[in-house]
Amino acid sequence: MFRRLQRLCAVGALVGLAAPALAADNSPVRQGAIGYALKALYWAVYQTPDGKDECPQGFNTWGPRETFKALFPQDKGQKWTEQESHLAREIEGWFPSDQPEKFPYIEAVGKVALGLNLDGKIGANDFTSPTGEKGVDNELYRVIGCQVHYRLPDGQTTFFDSKAIVTDHYNRMMIEITNVDDLANDPDVTVTVYRGLDPLLTDATGDNIIPGGSQRIDVKRGGRFHQVFKGRIENGVLTTEGKDLTFPWTTGFGTPTVMIVKDLRFQLKLRETGADGLMAGNVDIENFYSQLMKAESTHHEAYGQLSPPGLARSLRARADGYPDPKTGRMTTISAALDARFTQVFILHPPKAIAQSAHSPADAASR
Amino acid sequence: MRNSRTLAFAIGVIGVVTLSSCSRPAVDAAAQKMSDSAVTEPRATQPLRVRLMTGAQYANTLKYFFGDDISIVSPFAPLSRTNGLLALGAASAGVTSSQLQQFQRSAATIAHQIVSAEDLDLGIPGRRDTLVPCKPASKTAADDACAEKFLRATGKRLFRRPLEEARLSLLVAEARDSANRVNDFYEGLAYALEGLLISPEMVFIADTLEPDPKSPGRRRLDGYSVASRLSFFLWDAAPDDALLEAAEKGELYTAKGLAKTVDRMIASPRLADGVRAFFDDMFVFDNFDNLAKDASVYPGVTGVTLVEARDQTLRTVVDHLVTQKKDYRDLFTTRSTFMSPSLAAIYRVPSPPGWHAYEFPADSPRIGILTQVSFLAMNAHPARSSATRRGKAMREVLLCQSVPLPPPNVDFSAVEDPKGIFHTARERVAVHLKNPVCAGCHRITDPIGLALENFDGAGQYRAAERGTAIDASGSFDGKEFHDVAGLAQALHDHPSLPSCLVSRVYAYATGGPIDAASKSLVAHFTQQFGARGYKLPDLYRAIALSAAFSDVTDIPTAAAQTVSAK
Repeated sequence: MFRRLQRLCAVGALVGLAAPALAADNSPVRQGAIGYALKALYWAVYQTPDGKDECPQGFNTWGPRETFKALFPQDKGQKWTEQESHLAREIEGWFPSDQPEKFPYIEAVGKVALGLNLDGKIGANDFTSPTGEKGVDNELYRVIGCQVHYRLPDGQTTFFDSKAIVTDHYNRMMIEITNVDDLANDPDVTVTVYRGLDPLLTDATGDNIIPGGSQRIDVKRGGRFHQVFKGRIENGVLTTEGKDLTFPWTTGFGTPTVMIVKDLRFQLKLRETGADGLMAGNVDIENFYSQLMKAESTHHEAYGQLSPPGLARSLRARADGYPDPKTGRMTTISAALDARFTQVFILHPPKAIAQSAHSPADAASR
Repeated sequence: MRNSRTLAFAIGVIGVVTLSSCSRPAVDAAAQKMSDSAVTEPRATQPLRVRLMTGAQYANTLKYFFGDDISIVSPFAPLSRTNGLLALGAASAGVTSSQLQQFQRSAATIAHQIVSAEDLDLGIPGRRDTLVPCKPASKTAADDACAEKFLRATGKRLFRRPLEEARLSLLVAEARDSANRVNDFYEGLAYALEGLLISPEMVFIADTLEPDPKSPGRRRLDGYSVASRLSFFLWDAAPDDALLEAAEKGELYTAKGLAKTVDRMIASPRLADGVRAFFDDMFVFDNFDNLAKDASVYPGVTGVTLVEARDQTLRTVVDHLVTQKKDYRDLFTTRSTFMSPSLAAIYRVPSPPGWHAYEFPADSPRIGILTQVSFLAMNAHPARSSATRRGKAMREVLLCQSVPLPPPNVDFSAVEDPKGIFHTARERVAVHLKNPVCAGCHRITDPIGLALENFDGAGQYRAAERGTAIDASGSFDGKEFHDVAGLAQALHDHPSLPSCLVSRVYAYATGGPIDAASKSLVAHFTQQFGARGYKLPDLYRAIALSAAFSDVTDIPTAAAQTVSAK
């Protein structure tokens, strides 16, 4: 209410008149809350204009087509059965071993990467952000940074995954920031993650997502994606604590997938019309790889020249968090996502429906 | 065959138009005192009329009789607006030869849908078993008895009166010949049905006279013509079977019978269709058919937004006036409306999927239908608002006042000068007031239009324009106001608001403009309207029950004989 009065007074000051009796509440912050829905999401890959700094050896070119051709040459008179060739290679993709392959897998190098300092330390292996923050943890960048598949603007995953966010409803991830007194500075806000149910609002072209749409919360099947973070806003930037989060990822070829990130935190520049920034944390590598195989398919990987077995080996080698108590192998890899949200009004269900929905813990255990 | 049918149509059109153009000065026909008012109704008559059905009336009629899933591509050309209503333009509309081809194509498509056999591969539902009340002895041969049964019943519904036996025989013969030619009973039936659908008796609503038993030597509208008047007025569609039956029994010429019929029609859910059609016409919403907004200025406005803006206001009107039976004037101060997701983005409010009732808060500048996106966006430029257009629409559409067209030599250079420093529309339109040639009209449009400047050309709220706060104060025919709520109240209290509605409803109901003789009648209805709390159903009832509703000026006997001979 205080903020609303402030806005009215600001209008009055602008005019040099007393505050008007009537005024539409144009601010999307309603009763101390503002909602945002995800409209684009990319793995954060630091890119120089020609890629020479981070990929001095060039980009990976050994994709499924190239590796298959080298492994099973067709021009030497040798005949391959389906079992010996396609199926064998497919199995190596779905169940990659740790044995080295004869194909090179190029990783990104350098000291600059996008991301956040997840462990609060500045280690020898850590990156520095483009804006100078030290201690950035983003080992996933080393794994995928030289894969065209993950680079903007034409990478296959960047195109297809973000397209799916617009065209599908399954992966309608939303955040609602509550207890907001001021969208520019507020030391104590709460950020709740939901899954939404409705299409994103677009302009007349149908291509550009515009703010001001409404989203219902999926209380029936979205419980596993629900999480609550404490956070603060400083100079318009929201920073949250870290918490584990599972959220809906892409739906490739009819297969819905999720991303599991431990100790995830948000760092977003907030506006009334949207929010942009990073979601960073420790990505579960088995789930990451499983998602790649299920939803990206050889189709996307072939166009992106991404060889799954090569990526799997790099992923395991670069994993840097949450060691398995039995084997000692790292189960997560530090990473960051470039996240872009549009403002939406989040519609809460009636209390009775919300209470009858499964709790996040119940849903996650199913 | 089809060319001869076209010729027959043309002859029919000439016949009905001749009928409509014949008239003589008003005579002292015995006025039917069917109004339930204690106050004496001033007498007024109208000339005989022939009106072209509107596309909506054509579609409503066919969908009512044959089902909502009948696909109808409207063959009707846009009507010209006359005295504020398209409905009045229908009384002077004709059908050109190229339009006639459209009618024929549309009629053929509709006829085949009505007799369709189920074809799951093509996704065609089978309708013949439901819509044709009999089965032929053989599907591959003519069956006169079954064809006659269908054509008699359907012809009565489409012509809104029983078919003459000679005409029916002709249609049955057409069905027979066609069926035998293609060895398909239903194809033959479709051909005859196409003939019904394209007939002048179907697409023109023509007044027909009969001898008046209460005034020997004089004539009156026949019961079927009264039934059509009632039905197109109250339901925007042709009469249903019960109404035709009432006409056949002469019930529409007894006070009790007419009241019973009108009350049934007003209580019907189909009244909403009639009210929607009337307000869509009165509010000039056909402009939405060609309305577009500059997407670079208003990215949130899509085609869906504009369609739903029109729908929102019509939903508001029907709910307020028909469902809630509230005061017409309160339509301009109500906070209640309906919201859809795409409109909610323009209003900047949350909205679940689909339409739902919505109430703006008491301190919201959204008050009444003037502040809905439909009025604001329609009466604006593609990329900016227009105080002049909004003020003009208020005067002409809601108050039935006339704002002259701008002179042909109007100089726009001052307001369109790109170097001009106008922060707000108020500053811009002030230029008009300095030019005596412009000032005369702009003085009556701009001050009220400026009260809506808190809404941009898409109807979105704004507190300021180019950094300058918007001043929405003004005066409206002597009433001062400070903001849009004051404007809404001034409009609510304006004496011309109800009288304008009454004159429009009366003209719409009878199909012709208000002439000098009808003015006292409009004043009478306006007085009744006010005395009963400005409730629209009461106004509709009063007009439908009035003597003037069906009192037409008889035509000279010689001409009448000519028409009868035809």
